[in-house]
Amino acid sequence: MSSSRHIPFFLWRHLNKLRWIVLSIVFAMLVLLPFLHVYQTYRAAHAYDLLSPSERQLYDVMEALSAPFTDDPTEDLDAVKGNTWSGTFWGLKLSDPLAALGQAAAGHTLYWPFLLTAFIPIAVTAVFGRIFCGWLCPATFLYELNTNFAAWLSWAGLKIGDRHFDKRLKYAVLGLGLVLSAVSGSVMVAAVYPPAIIGREIYYAIALGGFGAGTVFFVGTLLFDLLVARRGFCRYLCPGGALYSLIGRYRVVRIRRIVENCNDCAKCNAVCEFDLDPLRDGFGQECNNCTACIAVCPTDAMTFTLRPTDHPAQGPGHLGRRYRDEQEAEHEPLANGNGVA
Amino acid sequence: MERRNFLKALAASAAAALVPEAARSARNQPSLRYLRPPGALPEEAFLSRCINCGQCGEACPNRCIKYFGFENGLNSIDTPYIIPREKGCILCMKCGDVCPTGAIQPVERTAEAILDGVKMGRARVDESLCLSFQGKTCGVCYRACPLPDVAIYVGRLEQPHVTDECVGCGLCERSCIQMPQAIRVIPSYG
Repeated sequence: MSSSRHIPFFLWRHLNKLRWIVLSIVFAMLVLLPFLHVYQTYRAAHAYDLLSPSERQLYDVMEALSAPFTDDPTEDLDAVKGNTWSGTFWGLKLSDPLAALGQAAAGHTLYWPFLLTAFIPIAVTAVFGRIFCGWLCPATFLYELNTNFAAWLSWAGLKIGDRHFDKRLKYAVLGLGLVLSAVSGSVMVAAVYPPAIIGREIYYAIALGGFGAGTVFFVGTLLFDLLVARRGFCRYLCPGGALYSLIGRYRVVRIRRIVENCNDCAKCNAVCEFDLDPLRDGFGQECNNCTACIAVCPTDAMTFTLRPTDHPAQGPGHLGRRYRDEQEAEHEPLANGNGVA
Repeated sequence: MERRNFLKALAASAAAALVPEAARSARNQPSLRYLRPPGALPEEAFLSRCINCGQCGEACPNRCIKYFGFENGLNSIDTPYIIPREKGCILCMKCGDVCPTGAIQPVERTAEAILDGVKMGRARVDESLCLSFQGKTCGVCYRACPLPDVAIYVGRLEQPHVTDECVGCGLCERSCIQMPQAIRVIPSYG
């Protein structure tokens, strides 16, 4: 049986590295775009001779970075604007589904030109699940670094938060945010949604000369993750994560455990940022296909599958001791009856 | 007792922030004079459309668009505004192009379209402060205006007169050499 083991495609276990690269690129773009914008304004004002030395340095660096791609920075660099909350890419406008829903709630009407900008993200989520959370969200980049930081702290002997709450809390937060948006007539969810906060706070810090109130909120969520619950905001409170979970409930691309390869080591459960239960085939709607469990699995027991629901529970892994004990308990009487032993 | 009063005040301010009626009256207090970007919808519709994405500011080549913190009420957090005395709007109309929700409507960059579609406010001259009205020929506001002889014209001794065509971009207020400024944009949030 072990000779015909199904081994998942070898690249799957490297996807986690690709994910980190993507997260880093998204975050780097959020830092680069405000700098490019400032550079554009210097260009537009023909202000080079009036700049201070540090501003001139910014100008020179941005000119060097953009010169290979454009002859006319003041116009061409307008091609990419915005952040993950809502952005413009060469005329294509994309928005977070939560932005569309929050705006519809605040305006009490459906404004289709804007709602359509969320169509592509919604379609991608319907297929790949909560993939934004794991692969694109600029807050995830910081939150996962925060998790690593917490791990260092606990190695150093400091106590870090490890509480568990009900994951359904975030659906209540989503509902409450939409109700508040509808009552107040402004898009309140934007104020408590980390990726939206990070996108604009980076812009404020670079182009407008200082962080705003959102940074205080975000640092609060980092401390919550560190001191109360690991990755707590994403797991229990994030309204956008709640919406993505709902949209991706019947996602087609899922992670599945290959029970024949599994040895019940539970590393997948330990590494899962979202407190899911890959060891017992419990992924559910909140799995964001981050592939950390695939990367960590020592026996190649995690792979992708295409089906709209999770694989039913498969019991203990066939390489594990529990499965062996169960098998022996089953075969013992047989063996005795045959008199082989 | 004191603490009770404090809690009462706290509850009242929280209620004012949450209940739209109270927030609206608080918003119309004249203590804070700001402009919305050109082409913005009337204030209430604007707030319900704006998703705080910050693209208008990122598109603004003049960097005149800034973002509210708590100073204009909870509804206005992270919404764009312009303080004309600090930096006026140069009517490049890029913010309306980039706005995904139509909170800032796209307006073509021609004099007719701008006169038609932009109403950030209307400039008003304080004749007791204006140098030209004191006999010291100035005319700086007239020369700063992107719509000279349409939105503003000068009479004897360069004395400025603002017409109803003024779109309220604030370049005159920005350029006024008098301190405090003799010409101000009175915002129209409608």
